[in-house]
Amino acid sequence: MTTVGNRLSKLSRVEQDFLESGDALTALAERTAEVDQCVLRAASELLFPGASGAPALLAVGGYGRRQLFPYSDVDLLLLFPSERAAEERKEAISAFLQKLWDSGLRVSQSVRTPAECTEVHDDNSELNISLLDQRYLAGDRTLYAGMAEKLPRFLSASRESLIRNLAKLSRDRYAKFGNTFYHLEPNVKETPGGLRDFQLICWLEQLREGSCDPSSELKMAFRFMARLRCYLHCLYARDANVLSFEAQDAISEQWQHADAALWMRDYYRHARTIYRVAGRELENNEAQASSLFSQFRDWRSRVANQDFSVHRERAHFRAPQRIDVEPELVLRLFEFVARHGIRPSFEAEQRIEARLTKLREQFAESRETVQMLLRIFSLPYAPLAARSMNESGVMAAIFPELNQIECLVIRDFYHRYTVDEHTLVTLQNLWSLRGTEDAPQKYYGDLLAEIKQPGLLMLALLFHDVGKGVDPAPEQGHAAASVEMAQVALTRIHLAPQDLETVLFLIRCHLELSGALQSRDVFDPQTIREVAHRVETVERLKALTLVTYADISAVNPTAMTPWRAEQLWQLYLMVYNELTRELEEERIEGVPTGSPERVAFLEGFPTRYLRTHSETEIDEHMALEARSRKRGVAVEIRRLDAAWQLTLVAADHPGLFASAAGSLSSFGMNILKAEAFANKRGLVLDMFTFADPIRTLDLNPTEVDRLRSVTERAVSGKLDVRELLKNRPKPVLPSRKARIPARVNVNSEASSAATLVEIVAEDRPGLLYDLASAISASGANIEVVLIDTEAHKAIDVFYVTAGGAKLEEERGALLAESLRAAVGAGTAGAGG
Amino acid sequence: MKKIEAIIQPFKLDEVKEALKAIGIDGMTITEVRGHGRQKGHKEVYRGQEYNVDLLAKVKVEMVIPDGRFDEVIQTLTTASRTGKIGDGKIFVYDVAEAIRIRNDDRGESAL
Repeated sequence: MTTVGNRLSKLSRVEQDFLESGDALTALAERTAEVDQCVLRAASELLFPGASGAPALLAVGGYGRRQLFPYSDVDLLLLFPSERAAEERKEAISAFLQKLWDSGLRVSQSVRTPAECTEVHDDNSELNISLLDQRYLAGDRTLYAGMAEKLPRFLSASRESLIRNLAKLSRDRYAKFGNTFYHLEPNVKETPGGLRDFQLICWLEQLREGSCDPSSELKMAFRFMARLRCYLHCLYARDANVLSFEAQDAISEQWQHADAALWMRDYYRHARTIYRVAGRELENNEAQASSLFSQFRDWRSRVANQDFSVHRERAHFRAPQRIDVEPELVLRLFEFVARHGIRPSFEAEQRIEARLTKLREQFAESRETVQMLLRIFSLPYAPLAARSMNESGVMAAIFPELNQIECLVIRDFYHRYTVDEHTLVTLQNLWSLRGTEDAPQKYYGDLLAEIKQPGLLMLALLFHDVGKGVDPAPEQGHAAASVEMAQVALTRIHLAPQDLETVLFLIRCHLELSGALQSRDVFDPQTIREVAHRVETVERLKALTLVTYADISAVNPTAMTPWRAEQLWQLYLMVYNELTRELEEERIEGVPTGSPERVAFLEGFPTRYLRTHSETEIDEHMALEARSRKRGVAVEIRRLDAAWQLTLVAADHPGLFASAAGSLSSFGMNILKAEAFANKRGLVLDMFTFADPIRTLDLNPTEVDRLRSVTERAVSGKLDVRELLKNRPKPVLPSRKARIPARVNVNSEASSAATLVEIVAEDRPGLLYDLASAISASGANIEVVLIDTEAHKAIDVFYVTAGGAKLEEERGALLAESLRAAVGAGTAGAGG
Repeated sequence: MKKIEAIIQPFKLDEVKEALKAIGIDGMTITEVRGHGRQKGHKEVYRGQEYNVDLLAKVKVEMVIPDGRFDEVIQTLTTASRTGKIGDGKIFVYDVAEAIRIRNDDRGESAL
């Protein structure tokens, strides 16, 4: 009884000292010394009374390295010369252990022979690893010396399998915590970046180098973590390691830290230090340990280029000193990461980190930055690149605004991660939609494929929650604060005005759809009209739906239930249909401002026209209309970033759209997107965005003029488009397996004034011409056109009328038939 | 004791929770469910393909309450979840024979 009493009184002194000083390392050493005494006393009394057959007694694990936390297990190893010798001393062993238990120690013991200590235990790798920290306590010195002598040789010889086992244990542990250290209520021992990882670093170094000397940064992180764990043990009087909200508040009070959320940011910084080093060590060691891996590594090194080499699955600068004169090399490194999924090497990261101050100025001045960012954000491994940019400090060098959410904790019931981690997870979630085959994710994946500039979505997600870092006024909300900060940041790097507008819209409205789902009746037409009114265009709706999907699913791993994903998709469908219906039905009436010419020009165009075109564009279109008066038609062709655009103004007449589409096809142009609008006075405005696959227009500037004149002549009926197309080579159709089944749908209910014709088909040169000709041949008039191409799939929507009204049923059926024929022989029509 | 099972519109959930909290009821189980009664599903056409929504998203709220509070809870629930339109949902009421708190073996209403 006295032993227990002594231990408790002694321990409470250790605890009290610790609570006063906060010095965990001293507390751990004192606790170890105290347990040593207790163990040695019990051993001399019960284990070593006789001279012969005495075992050697070893401290292993945390106890072995003299880092015993107040309520941690006491790991002991009893070393016997043989199993028989251990069997003979069975009673003494149980008496010894019982004595320790009775004195209040939680003993975790193992009885081994020297041979067992020097062989690999695949099913019990903890035994091998615990011996890395072994320490002699008492007993047979010769026996111990024999084992201790063999141990280094064993460790060196079995290094590979030991590392493999250790890596597997760690990877399994990481998986349990979602592979991130950003948990709002972390386990200071087991969570990635916790004490176990610090130990992992030491073990791996010890296995490789024979000893371990952590950097001062790591030691500091260890002291921080040890202090927290020590406190948790004192607080709960057991082996408690979870830093719950309750414990965080208690710690704040104990050490008079103002707000738990503030010092928790220090926790994440320290955890990040440990986690990054641990991850690097693991990868290095795994790479060395696996020969299969090294074959793969060699194969991967082939992606190396003149700027970067690939070594051990990491990208290295070939000439690091060039960063000083060529700062864009840094962004090119992340472009390389985004393209190949190979992360930067530790050395490359260090080089970059040393130059961050200088880079910050250079990024702000350069007009290249934004182009590079958008390129990085469109590549296959964009989220990985964003994560490495964040870790190396490059992201914050470009956007210091992001520092506001670094390791920021927002305590609520649903959020699992800190704000910065949540942001990075949204990027991952958005990208993971690519190539998914299962509904409902597949719907969203298809939507993502239709987005022309996914980089803008990534920028919007990057900034959507930065407002949370500035403590916005409650009536303002974080979205508005985020918009302000994004505007400053993105203007600084010269993001094009129309792109900026898109990004700011997405940030401003990022809660719009989830808000509607949560608090509005989505089956009420009024709700849908209001959402449609706020979103304005189909393009924006698509982008916003994807941003919402990524945001909700990054709250915690189970937030996006299939139920919720389906609800969001239904909302998308209803708003989509509302917007496309509006396209045709809602006409601009009573233009509020502008000259009489402007009013006359705009009158009767669909409202979509105003929503999708800037003031400058409208002025240009009016100028084009003025030019068209002389010859009845005017055509303008201009170069866009990655494509060309043809704008055409003419008086409406049958076959107009078809002849313009045909002219483009006859030049071998590939139509990506088309829109057609008609105003009240029968004026038609058609816009085609097209690709020039063999760079005819680029290489032969005179061909631009010829395309313009051919289009004008074709539209005014002076040229027969069919004749022009005769000479075009027949397209090569993709293999039967890759073909997209054609669907034609003629719907007279979707719109009140026109018949909706939707065609989804394999894209091919001249397809649009064939479809538009078929519509004209049926005697129907094309009112509104929306053409989109995604990869090889064409999605064409026409609103058609005949004699100013919807098509009669019979005529509609005939049209569907001829459209199916026009799509191409051999592809079966479906739907309708 | 009564067990109450209410199938309500998802967008009414926050309102219902608030209203119940205001009268001191904050223990409940919430499940995301799909189904339909008289409010049949509807049909959307997207890109020429029909997209049938025959099972509608609803939320199921379950709770067990003492007999004495029955009328008050039902009143609160119906008021908070009503819009007056088809699709507002339904409430089912069951008699509960016994309630046991596992931790300390409390029985009956004191276990609620």
